[in-house]
Amino acid sequence: MITASDRGTQFAEALHGAQGEIAWFDSWDDIWDFAASLSDDTPVVSPAAHQFLQRGDLPDADDPLRSIADRPVGVTVAALGIAETGSLLLIERAPIDRAVSLLTRHLVIAVGQDDLLDELADGFRWLAQQPRAAAYATFVTGPSRTADIERSLTIGVQGPSRLTAAVLT
Amino acid sequence: MIADFRERYERAVNDPDLQPRLLAFQRSWRESRDAQVSRLEQRTERSFDDLRHDFAAVKDGTLERIDDYIAEFRANAEAAGAIVVELTTADEAVEYIAGVCAARGIDLVVKSKSMVSEEIELNHELAQGGITAIETDLGEWLLQLAEQRPSHLVMPAIHQKRQYVAEILGQELGRDFDPDDIPAMVASARQGLRRHYLAAGAGLTGANALVAETGSIMVVTNEGNMRLATSLPDVHFVTAGIEKLIPTWSDAERQLQLLPRSATAQTLSTYTTCITGAQPGKEMHIILLDNGRRSMRDDDTIASALRCIRCGACANVCPSYQVVGGHTFGHIYTGAIGLVNTTFHHGIEDAAGPQGLCVSCGACETVCPVAIPLPNQILSIRRRATESGHVPHWERWLLRAWATPTLFRTAIKLGAVASSIARATNLLRRDHFRLPLPTRLRWRSIPAIPSRSGSQLIRSRQPQPAVAASPATGSEIDLFTQCLAEHLLPSAVDSAARLIEAGGATVHLPPEQHCCGLPAFDAGDWDAARRMARATIDALGRSDRRIVTPATSCVISMKEHWPQLFRDDPQSRRRANDVAERVYDLADWLDGPGRLPDGCLNTSDQHAWAAHRFCQSSNRDDPGARIDLLVERLTGETPLPLKEAEVCCGFGGLTSIAAPEVGKGILDRKLDCVAASGCETLITNNPGCALHLRAGAAAQGASHETLHYADFLAARLPWSS
Repeated sequence: MITASDRGTQFAEALHGAQGEIAWFDSWDDIWDFAASLSDDTPVVSPAAHQFLQRGDLPDADDPLRSIADRPVGVTVAALGIAETGSLLLIERAPIDRAVSLLTRHLVIAVGQDDLLDELADGFRWLAQQPRAAAYATFVTGPSRTADIERSLTIGVQGPSRLTAAVLT
Repeated sequence: MIADFRERYERAVNDPDLQPRLLAFQRSWRESRDAQVSRLEQRTERSFDDLRHDFAAVKDGTLERIDDYIAEFRANAEAAGAIVVELTTADEAVEYIAGVCAARGIDLVVKSKSMVSEEIELNHELAQGGITAIETDLGEWLLQLAEQRPSHLVMPAIHQKRQYVAEILGQELGRDFDPDDIPAMVASARQGLRRHYLAAGAGLTGANALVAETGSIMVVTNEGNMRLATSLPDVHFVTAGIEKLIPTWSDAERQLQLLPRSATAQTLSTYTTCITGAQPGKEMHIILLDNGRRSMRDDDTIASALRCIRCGACANVCPSYQVVGGHTFGHIYTGAIGLVNTTFHHGIEDAAGPQGLCVSCGACETVCPVAIPLPNQILSIRRRATESGHVPHWERWLLRAWATPTLFRTAIKLGAVASSIARATNLLRRDHFRLPLPTRLRWRSIPAIPSRSGSQLIRSRQPQPAVAASPATGSEIDLFTQCLAEHLLPSAVDSAARLIEAGGATVHLPPEQHCCGLPAFDAGDWDAARRMARATIDALGRSDRRIVTPATSCVISMKEHWPQLFRDDPQSRRRANDVAERVYDLADWLDGPGRLPDGCLNTSDQHAWAAHRFCQSSNRDDPGARIDLLVERLTGETPLPLKEAEVCCGFGGLTSIAAPEVGKGILDRKLDCVAASGCETLITNNPGCALHLRAGAAAQGASHETLHYADFLAARLPWSS
C-alpha cells in the first residue's frame, strides 16, 4: 500500500530528475506569498488559479498570449500529479487558459496532495473518463528543454525555464 | 533535391568531426537509455522484451483492422469539431494544405516537428506556392536556416557542430554568438521565433499517436514550441501517417512507457499534449496519410515496420550510422527504419544506395521498442534493390564467381601461389602482404593464403586422442569447414576438428563442400545464394551425421536464411531443413552434445585475453555467442573485460569492401576498445570477423594477436605441439 507521503516523495524525486522543483504549502495564501517572493513583478495567474487566489494579473482576454509573454512568474493549477514521472496534468481548453503555462519564465503549478496519483496509467485512466478535459490536456514534466545543439541539455526554450510544483497539503 | 547517394557518402566520410561526435552521442545515449529501461523493468516487474512485444501486438492488431480504427477515429474527431481527411499520396497532402492556406489567405505556417511533413517535402512544396513554413523545433529551425535535412528522427541536427550553429544563427539574427555559449544560442530561438508565431495563420504538428476511442492526437515534445504553434494561429494542421492509430488511451500510456525512454532516454518528455477536436473559434485539419503504408501492410515481411514509433533508437546503436550519419544512412527517414520504409514512401531508387552500408549486426532489433525485425527486413529490401538492378556490377560478378566452386578454387590457388612467392621474397608482414594500397584501403592488409587448407591440415595428421569422455564419445561427426576458414583461416578448421576429437568423436570431411550462400544472401543476390545453398545441401546431405562448424555466421544462415531462400520450393526446403537441423556451431557443440568437462584444458597459465563476441549471434542472444564463458569454463582462465564487446567489428560481409570507410570506422572503434582492454590475445568466433580484425590489427601495427577461439582452445590440448 503506497501512502500519501510515499507518493509525495516519489513525485518529488521524479520531478527533480526532470529538473523541476517542489515546495509544500498549507494554504493558497502561502502559495501566493511564495510566488510573489520570486520576483518584484506581480505574478500572472491563469483563470483557474485566480479562482483560488483571487489576486494576481490575469491574461488579457483579447490577446492572452501577447499580454503576459515573458513575465517573470506565473501561477496555474494542475488537475492532478503523477508520482511515477513527476508530471502535472494541465487542462487548458482555450488559449487564455494556457497563456500562463506557455510563456512565463518561472511557472508555479499548484496541485493538491490528494490529487497525486501513482502512475501515468492512472492519469490516462482519469483522462479517458473526462472527454472534455482531453480537448487540450498536457502532462508537463519539468521546465522546457532542448538538447538540439551538440546534445547539450539546455533548460528553457519556448516554455518556462523554471518550474515549481506547489503541493497543497 | 537530395544529393546522389555516392556524393552524400563521400561528404560524410570526409567530415572529420562527424564520427567522433556520433560516437560520443551513441555511447552516452546507450548508457542513459539502458538505465531508463532497467528502471522501467524494475518498476513494472516485466522485461523490456515483454513490454515491447505487448505494445507491438497492440500496433499489429490496429493495423490489421486499420480501416475500422480510422472510421472510429474520424467519427470521434469530427464530433469534436475537427476535419479529418484521408489522403493517398504526398502530392495530395501538399495540395490539401496549400488549398486551405489559399482559401484562408494564409502565407505563413509555423511548424512543430513532423516527420510526415519531411516525407512529403512540405516546406519546399509550399514555398512554390508562395507560402512560407517556419520550423520552430530548435534543431529543425537550425536545419532550415542551413538548408539541410534532419539526419536523425529525434535529434535532427545531431550532425551540426556548435561553431556552425553559431555561424548560421549569427547570419539569421544579425549578431555574433559565442560557439561555447550554447544557452545563449538556445535563448535566441525564443526571441528569434516569437514574431513568426504571432504572424502565422496556421500551425502544423505531427502526431505521435492518434487515439481512436476519442478522436484525439497525442504529441510528445520538449521545447514548448508545439504548444505555441497550436495556441497562437487560428488553423491547426496535423500531418500523420495512418500507422499512428492506436485504439485507446491505455494504449497511449503503453506507448509512452517505451517512446521517451527509447528516444531521448527520458522517463517522460517535458510535454505530452493531448488534443481532441478544434479549439473554440479555431479550425483543426487532421491529414491521415497513406503514401505507401497500405502497401507495407500488405507485404508480409515488411508489415511490422509500421509499428515504428519514430524513436530513432535503431540509429543510436547502428555502427554504420555512427560512421556516416543519417544524411547517408537513410533517405528522409534515417537509421535502420529508413533503409526499410523509404522503399514504400519514396521508391526503391532512393532506398537502394545505403542498403550496402548495413553490416547485418542486428543491434537495431535489440533496442527497437516495438520489436521490428529490422535486419531481416533490410535483407529483404536489399534483395529487391538487387533484383531491380540497383547493385554495382562488380558485386554481382564477385558473387557469381564465389558461387562457382571451380572459379573460387582457381582464385584461391592463384592467391596461394602469390602468397608463397611473397613469403619467399620477404614481402609478407605478420602473414599479410606488404602492398602499397590506395589510402582508403590502407587500414586493412591483405592476408596471405596459407600453404595448406583446413582439410589438408586435418588429413595430414593422426586423429587427436580424447582428453575426456563426452556425451559424443564414439560418435561420428561431419565437419563443415566453411569457404573462408578452409582457405584463409585453416588453423581454426583443424582446431575445431581437434576439439571435437578431444571429446572422443570421429571427424569426417564431407567432400565438395563450399559455401552456404551467406555472402550472396547478405548482398541480396538470392539466385546466387540458392545455387550455393543447394551445393552445400548436396554435400552435407550425403550422410545423416551431426554437422559441426567453426563458422557461427553459417549456422545462422542455414537455420534462418535457407527457409527464406526455399520458401516457395517445398522439396528443397525439406532437404535444407534436414541439413540445418543437424548443424551445430562449435561453441554450442562443446557446451552441448560434445560437451567437454570444466577445466579439461586448464594449463595453469593465465593469459591476458579478451573476447569479441560475434555481433550477429550475440545480438540474437544465441548461447553459442558467449565464447568468453566457454573458454573460461574449459581453461579456467578469466577474460579481461572488453567494452562494447557485442558491437560489430566492421567486417559485415561485402560492406567492408563496398564501403571501406565504414569498415575502417567500425574497426577503429573496436580496436580502440581492444587496446583499452590490455589484452595480448583477442579471440572471436566467426572466421570473417577473425580475419577482418587480424588484417586491421596487422595494418595498424596493433600489439595483440587475433585468434579464432578454437585455435586458442586447441593450443591448450595436452598433445598440441
